[in-house]
Amino acid sequence: MRLGPIVVTFLTGATLIAIFFIPNRAAQQTQSVILEWADIVYAFALLLGSISLWLSHQKKLQQRAEGWIYSAVTLTALALVTLLGVTQGVGGETIVGKIYDSVNAPLASTMFSLLAFFVASAAFRAFRARNVEATLLLLTAIVMMVGRVSIGEFVWKGFPPLTEWLLDVPNLAAKRAVAIGVGLGAISTALKIILGIDRSYLGRS
Amino acid sequence: MGETLDARWFNPDRLNLLVGLFLFIAFLAINIRRAKGSRDGLFIRPLAGLKALDEAIGRATEMGRPVLFVPGIGDMSEVGTLAAITISSRVARRVADLGCDLRIPCYDPVVTALIDGTTREAYREANRADSFRPGSVYYVSATQFAYVASVTGTMLRDRPATNIFMGAFYAESLFLAETGNLTGAIQIAGCDQVTQLPFFVCSCDYTLLGEELYAASAYLGREPVQLATIAAQDWAKALAAGTVVLAIILSALGHPWLGRLLQTS
Repeated sequence: MRLGPIVVTFLTGATLIAIFFIPNRAAQQTQSVILEWADIVYAFALLLGSISLWLSHQKKLQQRAEGWIYSAVTLTALALVTLLGVTQGVGGETIVGKIYDSVNAPLASTMFSLLAFFVASAAFRAFRARNVEATLLLLTAIVMMVGRVSIGEFVWKGFPPLTEWLLDVPNLAAKRAVAIGVGLGAISTALKIILGIDRSYLGRS
Repeated sequence: MGETLDARWFNPDRLNLLVGLFLFIAFLAINIRRAKGSRDGLFIRPLAGLKALDEAIGRATEMGRPVLFVPGIGDMSEVGTLAAITISSRVARRVADLGCDLRIPCYDPVVTALIDGTTREAYREANRADSFRPGSVYYVSATQFAYVASVTGTMLRDRPATNIFMGAFYAESLFLAETGNLTGAIQIAGCDQVTQLPFFVCSCDYTLLGEELYAASAYLGREPVQLATIAAQDWAKALAAGTVVLAIILSALGHPWLGRLLQTS
């Protein structure tokens, strides 16, 4: 059994839980130090991640696998941006900043804008009135859609308050029920890991 | 004016949370004792999504196509990601037993390193260490939509027979689930983000809702001590529900003290 990681996990977890209840300045400073250590570990992991990315695309390129040209673009971009970042620095007015603003940000926005089409296709599938639950969902969706646009109030004055009620009462009640379950589940998962009950994160059942 | 230094060793405003934590630990201890003393083990409500997991991995094996496990875009500070790591280990074990191909694209480099380690270990436990393919767990990008582009590209090019989405998901949930739906894959999702659950419910065959994601690892493991944690969670939930109802009734009768006691700073 790997005792080392279990002991480190227990000590770190128990310390951070204790610090949550201790407002003393020394305890809060200890927390800051632990979080700084986490940042340092993250920086090393980022390096490992970049190596993993490089190796995975290099393999595709060498094997001329399907879509190898995209791997070539990825590797070129990775090498170029890293080189520019190291030599010229990063930030708004640097070349890396400009590449980010003019290439990465528009590409991300383009991807995000596709969400509308995915919502439409998912809604089409979900709102087919196949049974009582789906019919209820369809009716609720119609009320919500009509009630949230300006014309809804002209059709019937009761639509906007009805949508507010749907959001504030049944919707919020369900959301809070899930949130309470999630909160307790999160505590349970954290305790399982801190107390060493669940060790599958070490690859052990 | 300088900042006042806090010299207290306990924050009394958080006493209710501390009591809650100790109660939870007590529930855990009681249920572990129960589970160890019981011959048949504790009964846990079956979760359809997890029952279907074996079938979905078996289908991928028969079709000769890969299983795609997506651990979300959370980092290690999110409990959903911790749950995803433990579930990925269980999934890797089943995949290793059946001998099909597994792909795990990761968003966070720390998560990549951890899942790579747990997956290797799962193959080793299944006595299939030689079947583990280096590079099957790989880092993609810590940019949300670059990650989406890569994972959806994998779905369309490699046509995995089974897509498993477990962990913390945000705006990318619908992209991933809808693209997977288009490819005809069996899809099993588990997410603790309330706002993303409807998207998975619409687009996936099975969805683990909220806390079910955290229970999944214990459920798949079937060890009595692990199942005891789910029972403890249920006890705590019953206590929380009972206390909330009691606080509402007392407040309605003009005694808001219980409601105030439950407030935290």
